[in-house]
Amino acid sequence: MNLNLTLAARYLAGRKLRTFLTTLAIVFGVVILFGMNIILPSMMQALEANMKAAAGVVDFSVTSVSGEAFDPAVMARLDGIQEITAIAPAFVRTFNLGADFFDNDPATADRITAIQLVGMDPDAVQTLRAFPIASGRFLQTSDSDAAVISQSLADALRLTVGDTLTLPTVNGLTDLTIVGLLPPRTLPGNEEVFVTLGAAQAMGGQPGRITTIDLNVALDAGDQEGRDAVAAEIQSSLGSSYVIGALTSGADVFAALQMGQAILSMFGIMALFMGGFVIHNTFRTVLMERQHDIGMLRAVGASRRTILNLFITEGLVQGVLGTLVGLALGYLFGVGILKFAEGPISTFVNIRLDTPVVEPGIVLLSIFMGIGVTVVAGVLPAVRASRISPLDALRPTSAQADFERERGRGFWVGALLVALSLVMLFIGQDAMIAAGGFVFLIGLVFLAPAIVRPITDMFSVLLGRLYAREGTGEVARGNMLRQPARVAATASATMIGLAVIVAVGAVLTSMTGTMTNLLRKNLGSDYLMVPPSIGLWASNVGASEGLAEELAAIQGVGPVATTRFAGSASEGVAISLLGIDPAIYPQVSGMAFQEGDESAYDDLAAGRSMIVNGAFLLATGAELGDTLELATPDGVQSYRIAAVAADMLNPKVTTAFISQANMAADFGRAEDVLIQLNLEEGAEAESVDSQIRALMHDYPQFNTIAGRAYVEQMLELLNVAFSALYFLLAFLAVPSLIAMLNTLAISVIERTREIGMLRAVGATRRQVRRMVTAEALLLAGIGTGMGLLSGLYLGYSWVVAMEAFFPLEYSFPIAGLIAGLSTGLIFGALAGLIPARQAAKMDVVAALRYE
Amino acid sequence: MNTVETRELTKIYGSGDTAVTALDSISIHAAEGEFVAVMGPSGCGKSTLLHLLGGLDHPTRGKVIISGQDVAEMTDDALTELRRRQMGFVFQFFNLLPVLSAVENAALPIMLDGVKPDEAKAKATEWLTRFGLADRLVNRPDQLSGGQQQRVAVARALVSEPKLVLADEPTGNLDTRSGDEIAALLREVSQKYGRTVVMVSHDPRIAAYADRIIFLKDGKVIDETVLEQKNGKNAEMVAERMTKLAH
Ligand SMILES: Nc1ncnc2c1ncn2[C@@H]1O[C@H](COP(=O)(O)OP(=O)(O)OP(=O)(O)O)[C@@H](O)[C@H]1O
Ligand SMILES: [Mg+2]
Repeated sequence: MNLNLTLAARYLAGRKLRTFLTTLAIVFGVVILFGMNIILPSMMQALEANMKAAAGVVDFSVTSVSGEAFDPAVMARLDGIQEITAIAPAFVRTFNLGADFFDNDPATADRITAIQLVGMDPDAVQTLRAFPIASGRFLQTSDSDAAVISQSLADALRLTVGDTLTLPTVNGLTDLTIVGLLPPRTLPGNEEVFVTLGAAQAMGGQPGRITTIDLNVALDAGDQEGRDAVAAEIQSSLGSSYVIGALTSGADVFAALQMGQAILSMFGIMALFMGGFVIHNTFRTVLMERQHDIGMLRAVGASRRTILNLFITEGLVQGVLGTLVGLALGYLFGVGILKFAEGPISTFVNIRLDTPVVEPGIVLLSIFMGIGVTVVAGVLPAVRASRISPLDALRPTSAQADFERERGRGFWVGALLVALSLVMLFIGQDAMIAAGGFVFLIGLVFLAPAIVRPITDMFSVLLGRLYAREGTGEVARGNMLRQPARVAATASATMIGLAVIVAVGAVLTSMTGTMTNLLRKNLGSDYLMVPPSIGLWASNVGASEGLAEELAAIQGVGPVATTRFAGSASEGVAISLLGIDPAIYPQVSGMAFQEGDESAYDDLAAGRSMIVNGAFLLATGAELGDTLELATPDGVQSYRIAAVAADMLNPKVTTAFISQANMAADFGRAEDVLIQLNLEEGAEAESVDSQIRALMHDYPQFNTIAGRAYVEQMLELLNVAFSALYFLLAFLAVPSLIAMLNTLAISVIERTREIGMLRAVGATRRQVRRMVTAEALLLAGIGTGMGLLSGLYLGYSWVVAMEAFFPLEYSFPIAGLIAGLSTGLIFGALAGLIPARQAAKMDVVAALRYE
Repeated sequence: MNTVETRELTKIYGSGDTAVTALDSISIHAAEGEFVAVMGPSGCGKSTLLHLLGGLDHPTRGKVIISGQDVAEMTDDALTELRRRQMGFVFQFFNLLPVLSAVENAALPIMLDGVKPDEAKAKATEWLTRFGLADRLVNRPDQLSGGQQQRVAVARALVSEPKLVLADEPTGNLDTRSGDEIAALLREVSQKYGRTVVMVSHDPRIAAYADRIIFLKDGKVIDETVLEQKNGKNAEMVAERMTKLAH
């Protein structure tokens, strides 16, 4: 075997515990990074499959950029293109069905939670694709309430030809008669219900509009060049308001999922970063420990490069090992979560998760990060190792002297950074504060070695009392002071771990507080009629204006505010447009304004203005007062940003509120997807309630709830989501546990001979154990102290940074502090356990022989 | 020809008030196949001299010339190669890598030089066998006695067939019997294998194995004596000389 590999393998094998702990840190980072990135792409792929299936088997599908319905007259623009052999309009909508819509039985899981309504011209469409009817007949142009469905949907609903299929539509429930059955559906995605174009338009509340133009061309499937040319011709005939190919509806879901993926990747990278810290720490110790070995190697003729390679090889071995194990465990982790989450997710977003998706890119990224972090963390110590002169083999103290010099420099760098971060805090500009948190943290890492002594002195008074009779506290203190570099490195790792806990605690506390307020304000109306998918408005079936009018007519019902939806896009960014009545909306609901104020409602009423949320600004890069071009089914329209505000339902979706009048004029949508209403004062609560519920009975796509109950329900959901985040946090704390365990284990190994001597001169096993435990507690104390301090700053800076796209008010994280403190101390004691036992178990003779 | 020689070699540690002149204008030499011992009281500059001879440290003034080449004019890489191919070191402590077996430790210099591991180990085995360690080849250093460890170190110093072997107190850590064994071994290295050996020791009994002894005091050469190896009374003679020089 190659000398480098031999040496690396032997050194690693010689320190099994340390190698295990170091590698574990990398495993951990890779598990999170890789595992998390399996989960979301799997969901995305399922969604994509859904959409592809929806596009059917035609050559090209034309939709509007906004995903909205448009005028069929557009088809005329394609008349001149000769390659087109067949063309047909269609009206396609995905209808989310309320829970238990078909089986009316909450106990059994719903098999069908959404269907795709496909309205088409029966004559035209049959020139486009074949419909192999299994029984009954196909649609005819004269049909008005006829439907054709697949055998599999019919089986699921226990229906057959001649039976009635009832669907919720904008006009209440609509009955369809099944006239024909197609073979069972084999493609993934939602079951389709085929009806005539007119029927579909009526059910979707958009008479005379279509959503899709399907067409076939006279070209071979293999003729990609010809196809591209035709696609380009179609595109230029239609203009930029239309896209060819896959449907864009669902783009908002993509946006939300991508955001989630970015956040989760951040967690993974952070864990890897901590892993890198652990490795760096280990290598530093290794450097000191092997000083003589390296000097000797240099003396007998090893070049600097050989020493460098030796260290890098050792890092690589651990990096590769850790990454491989991490990939395997990460895969299992991802699959496990998917299995576990399948149920809850499918009620939320309408997709089915089949197999986990592993994108080659993410595998590469994980490998690159896992191995890269190890190597990068090892490079600095490796370079320092290569600088060790052969003379150092004979001089035991030089590394320590080096360190003293470095500490002097580090102290000033650290002090400067901390001072800078405090200045940044007091300047009070958002961007400054946001960056300041990190500057503070890094400053503390530099300062750590210099403040080890004062903090150690402080804590050792306490420990001294605890262990007063044995003198072990004193020995522990002496050990810490002898190796301030190592102590500082461990303390820093602990500090970062705890700082993140406290900081995220601060963000969570602030979020819960703010969200609770916003929830009460935004959704605190007396009654709420909500669709199954909140935020994913495009997949919901709403109601025509008639419903809101009828509700308002009920005796005792006060103002009724409705929200409408239209899809749009601006410069390629998908935008979710919500239409409100600027006069009524503020009476029943509300938003939290970040820039501008309530007067923006008047702007909405006065002209083409919009109130956008933080995600909108982030995605488009626009600012308050800018005017943006929004894609409509008939070209583009300019809208000015009148205010920036957040509402409860769309925090992550790029959303803009416009007036319902403008929405009807520009986007042709007048369908209410969310209804909120208040009761008049002194209204007969019970009778009003029963009247409202009776009216809503015909609109099962809505869930009718009393507002306050809904707020409670949402808060509960929020709590669940936050618990999940806390769980992730605990994950992040694990690397700092590993770091502490690692350093303590190292310190015990390093002092093997000394411990042997202590035992030889009469220290009991118990005393040795206590000595190591005391050291662990001291170490934890230092890290915890620094961690809590920097966590407070970091948390504040994060809240300030997040305010940019979500309204947040800083709340002091008492819970986070307690969590951080107890985590630090419990971990400290835990981390001391294994090394303490090892030290106590040590064989005296073997220890004295140890070199 | 001299394997190694120094010209007015001076080494000063530190500067100003705290400056220590460890070596003061020393000119010495060691001929091919010669066994030279360097003696003197603690702190007189013996180790410093040896480090300079091995190119491990840089002189303040003066020259070290190895096989006709001035060490000061060589790059770190060239020096490293020189050490690997033409020099062998034996130290008092920390001689062996704890993670490698005896044979691997002995083979280290030529493995670093790119010789195939099997070949390198075969060669190392030869030397270890010569030094009576044939049955300890696969043992790790912590499974060897102090004397055995030093014998492995001597084998390592010879495995690359160097011209010059430098030893700093190679017996300092050993009992009398093992010390004698190592000293005799070094003598064999110069007599039988024709290497130049420079050894530092403060023990008259050990130094007495050499062909010539150089006495240092306060960084200066104060005496030199050539020993007749047939004379059994060398050790007493050297000891007497030492005590006299100390005053
Ligand atoms: N790195 C150094 N920095 C400063 N002074 C040094 C250094 N190394 C050695 N010295 C000083 O140089 C002088 C010679 O040291 P050297 O190690 O060569 O002595 P020695 O003869 O080998 O002694 P011993 O027999 O105790 O090993 C001593 O006074 C020592 O204190
Ligand atoms: Mg010495």
